Amino acid sequence: MPSTPSASAGTAPSGTATHCPYCALQCAQTLTPVAGGGADGAPVLTVEGRDFPTNQGGLCRKGWTSAEVLTAPDRLTAPQLRGADGVLREVSWDAALDHVEARLREQRERRGADAVAVFGGGGLTNEKAYALGKFTRVVLGSRLIDYNGRFCMSAAATASNRSLGLDRGLPFPLPDLAGADCVLLLGSNLAATMPPFVQHLEGVRSRGGLVVTDPRGSATAALTAEGAGVHLAPVPGTDLVVLLALLHVVLAEDLVDHEYLAARTTGLEALRASAAAWWPERAEAVCGVPARRLRQVARMLADASPSRGGRGAYVLTGRGVEQSTQGTATVTAAIDLALLLGLVGRRGSGYGPLTGQGNGQGGREHGLKADQLPGYRKITDPEDRAHVAAVWGVDPESLPGPGVPAVELLGMLGRPVGPSALIVCGANPVVSAPDVSRVRERLAALDLLVVMDTVPSETALLADVLLPVTQWAEEEGTMTNLEGRVIRRRRAREAPGGARSELWILRELAARLGVPTGFPAEASAVFDELARASAGGRADYSGLSHERLDREGSMHWPVPGPDHPGTPHALLDGFPTADGRARLLPVTHEDPADPLRADAPLHLVTGRLLEQYQSGAQTRRVPSLLAARPAAFAQMHPLLADLLGIEDGEEVLLRTRSGELRVPAEVTEEIRPDTVFMPFHYPGEGSANLLTGSATDPLSGMPGFKVTALEVLPAPRPVPVPDVVTVQQRSIV
Amino acid sequence: MRIVVIGHGMVGSRVAADLAAADPGARLTVLGQEDHDPYNRVQLSSVVAGKADPAALALEQVGPERARVLRGVRAVRIDRASHLVHDELGEAHPYDRLVLATGSAARIPDVPGLRAPGGAAEESPLVDGVSPLKDLDDAERILRRCDGGGEVVVLGAGVLGIEVATGLAGRGARVTLVHHRERLMERQLDRDASEIVHGALETLGITVVTSASATGVDAPEGRLETVHLSDGSARPADLLVLCTGTVPQTALAEAAGLECGAGVLVGEDLACPGDPDVFAIGDCAQPPEGASGLVAQGWEQARRLVESWRPREEESRAPGPPRGTGGDLVRVKAVGLALVTMGRIERPGPGLHAPRSVRLADPSGGRFTEVVVHEGRLVAATIVGDEDAAAELSAAFTLRTPVPRDPVHLLARPLAARAAAPAASAADMAEDDVLCQCNGVTKGTVCAAVAGGCGSTAEVSRATRAGTGCGTCRSRIQELLDASRDREPAPV
Repeated sequence: MPSTPSASAGTAPSGTATHCPYCALQCAQTLTPVAGGGADGAPVLTVEGRDFPTNQGGLCRKGWTSAEVLTAPDRLTAPQLRGADGVLREVSWDAALDHVEARLREQRERRGADAVAVFGGGGLTNEKAYALGKFTRVVLGSRLIDYNGRFCMSAAATASNRSLGLDRGLPFPLPDLAGADCVLLLGSNLAATMPPFVQHLEGVRSRGGLVVTDPRGSATAALTAEGAGVHLAPVPGTDLVVLLALLHVVLAEDLVDHEYLAARTTGLEALRASAAAWWPERAEAVCGVPARRLRQVARMLADASPSRGGRGAYVLTGRGVEQSTQGTATVTAAIDLALLLGLVGRRGSGYGPLTGQGNGQGGREHGLKADQLPGYRKITDPEDRAHVAAVWGVDPESLPGPGVPAVELLGMLGRPVGPSALIVCGANPVVSAPDVSRVRERLAALDLLVVMDTVPSETALLADVLLPVTQWAEEEGTMTNLEGRVIRRRRAREAPGGARSELWILRELAARLGVPTGFPAEASAVFDELARASAGGRADYSGLSHERLDREGSMHWPVPGPDHPGTPHALLDGFPTADGRARLLPVTHEDPADPLRADAPLHLVTGRLLEQYQSGAQTRRVPSLLAARPAAFAQMHPLLADLLGIEDGEEVLLRTRSGELRVPAEVTEEIRPDTVFMPFHYPGEGSANLLTGSATDPLSGMPGFKVTALEVLPAPRPVPVPDVVTVQQRSIV
Repeated sequence: MRIVVIGHGMVGSRVAADLAAADPGARLTVLGQEDHDPYNRVQLSSVVAGKADPAALALEQVGPERARVLRGVRAVRIDRASHLVHDELGEAHPYDRLVLATGSAARIPDVPGLRAPGGAAEESPLVDGVSPLKDLDDAERILRRCDGGGEVVVLGAGVLGIEVATGLAGRGARVTLVHHRERLMERQLDRDASEIVHGALETLGITVVTSASATGVDAPEGRLETVHLSDGSARPADLLVLCTGTVPQTALAEAAGLECGAGVLVGEDLACPGDPDVFAIGDCAQPPEGASGLVAQGWEQARRLVESWRPREEESRAPGPPRGTGGDLVRVKAVGLALVTMGRIERPGPGLHAPRSVRLADPSGGRFTEVVVHEGRLVAATIVGDEDAAAELSAAFTLRTPVPRDPVHLLARPLAARAAAPAASAADMAEDDVLCQCNGVTKGTVCAAVAGGCGSTAEVSRATRAGTGCGTCRSRIQELLDASRDREPAPV
């Protein structure tokens, strides 16, 4: 049962002002302790939506029920150590940390610094992301760190940096969208994944200008109904063809902003040549979108553009187009389109990716990514290394070089040349990574798996050492939302039992491993160091502190000094490239890594549901959310169901090159008949990532989650699928 | 490896650029007879229609650092014995492998009066006002002659003829489309489909004359005035556009002793049977499966050739078979007329495993669809007047995705996800229907809150959380509030 909202919504003066634990919209919440809460599962905090520019007071049901995860019955409150019998047992913090220290020393002595790898998460605060990156490079001396944000934002980040010289998510505040005449939303189902966002689309919908591309008639696609806009349902894996056709029309019909192109970009001719090959009629046969629709959308965008007298236009990308083996190329094409129309770095128009995870943005800015140092610095750049090494008080030479992206890292685990120990922090790769059978196999091959988590997630259950950590309402810190806005996370209650912040754990481990200073457990102190480390970098937080954010409210980076007011609109004065210009880059469409074949003639696409979040470790522990969406299913069109001879609710067998599983069919007309959708929030037999492959985008390391060749067979026997997670027992050598 | 490519059109430029990218060690020379950079010839009809800017046609090409590209230089002789290509400037280009991508030329029909008097018949220029549409110069000539009006005769109602006729009609010209056969696009369309296309063209203001050919042209003072047709009529004309097919450019190959049929004969490996070092791709080639005259086939051949030559550990291997079936998909780019054909429609006989063919003919609606399904896949289709079906069936044909058990669904409903349905009004919802998706709140819960005294959407939201997510259901909450007020007289 959800807690009853109090009558005095939004005005609880005694409450704690913080933000939702889930997605990158980071809706503002007020948390108020409930007297006598906690007994018999009674809520310990009430949650209210708080007025804020991004959510305007709104929350979705994940946010409203977020406090229930605090008191999940299986909440981890004591460290656990796997015994020789394979069973995890509670131990003291000293015992757990001493064990980790000894095992890490042993691995490092035997196999060198790269024997230990770290896998982080996009839900960690900036402070934790920073400390984890520093711990890896300074204490462990390992180059092998990456994070699950690789599955989220890597394609958009790579493309944005390449084309614009900057990746800040949205380089403009969200409320700006209200004034646009056209918004092109490529592969995002934000009405389900971040519902309060929809409020910002009211204006463009009232003007008929919302364009959504999605192979499904998703909740977001439905926002285009009744004259509010246009829904294009391309063949999965052909988003780049749609974009090439839009580029073609904009160029062929000379709808571009010539003045802007001349003043602010380079590369027009090469782009022109790559788009020339994709006239709409050719694109139509590949992407299944009528040529006339492609022309219509190109003209809608152009007419909304400032150079043609429009009120403004935006191009926004989501995981639907980015989670592809040509994800970087696809985002590049989206940016090319925005540049041709003169939208980027201009008030009232723009391009931006919609970040998924709560702190996917901050995580990649401050050190969780294999090739980056805090402040969005490059680990390969000597000046960047020197700056960060000075802040860390170490020799630049001692810093390791770049590591490898997440999928490659997971693939190396436990192999002769790969790491033999892994520390997982804020991630559940056994559910969220592609080809999870392989991930399980690699984790089992490790000598040591240390997991920090709040609940026994599927990955946590495989750990040799399981360390219980605090949740959002139990800690201080900052997050950087989808618009590059740095916001404060604040403590509303004490963590239960022995749960500790990751900052404390890293301090303890660092001290045990011979680095007694430089790892404060206070988030504000970590932030102050982060600010210094980021000074002069692309993501410059040097003018920020917890104290300033508390006093003045949230701010968009860069904030290069204590008097700097922050940068709500980035890129207005130029692009941070060598010549100050944005790059128009040619792109080429390639077939997916796993194209359809005679025995796998359908497309599998995966995605999220409104009621669940990421690997579901949190939301599957909220009874009302679990009741709403208890298990995985395969969504398919009635014509496909008819072909298979099955009815709604009957089981089907899904098979790909990576694996197979059985789930019930959910029959709906809101999907292409050549496509099957599966949500990826579920473990065990319902895990969509049993089916996805581990091919990645060569430029960004993004897995191609969004299109896998699929065979579907009826499986009418009523299979009792155990939804219990089987704990794989691993012996400790 | 020294590679010479003859031809720098759509296929020649593609194979050169891809070869340069695939094999950094290759030494490339490209001979192109046109002075232009490579451009998108397929779009010429769109240029004529005023839908594409000629400046936007430039195609990707190999950079000067990777290849020597000679523009406006014609190859005049291939010396296979010494592996040399001689150009018109007297230079000889040595090759290890030679790729012929010489394309095709417009076929000029033998009509009296078409060419200026004097000179040899094949050489003398066409009279002013007569043009094929094969290159940018042709397009510019046509545009100069037909600038938003005038009398135009288009000879030949194949794909190009229909595109040109509709394009010029769209610019305000009075167009007569003349076709020598009874059926338009007779290679692709049957009689029913042709009649529906015929009707659609007339709706666009085009006069269509079938079973007729041009018998003569009057061009006093070298300038076109009249086109005489075999039905005895004479059409005044400012412009005659010849869309009477193409002829593969095989002269060089023939002179070099390579075997030619309609085009340069090549095997599945795209090599000439008599010379393993000479290859032909694109419109000039005649592969075992036949030439389609479509650029998709040429580009696919370029891809296969480059793929087979890519440097790799093992021996370079022969090109794989053609991929996909999209090669023979014909999409007419005609404004106001959706027309797509794919595969080959053959009249299937009876039998359990025979292909199934179903059709929908709607002459007064200007609509025609025929699909042929075999072994669960779409193997051929013709679509007139239904652009959604055209797009969806094209994708199904290209990707070979499974089709519905009963092929009639392919006619009766579009294959793509149907347009997103608008939300139902609150009045149409049942009590236990979810009204607020973001928070999973039913209509019943909202009604109860209204009955319990909530007087505004904000109050309902506070009581139930409905409307606190995306906010799109607030109008339905308001509807329920209004309905409640209508039922109860307002307190005085």
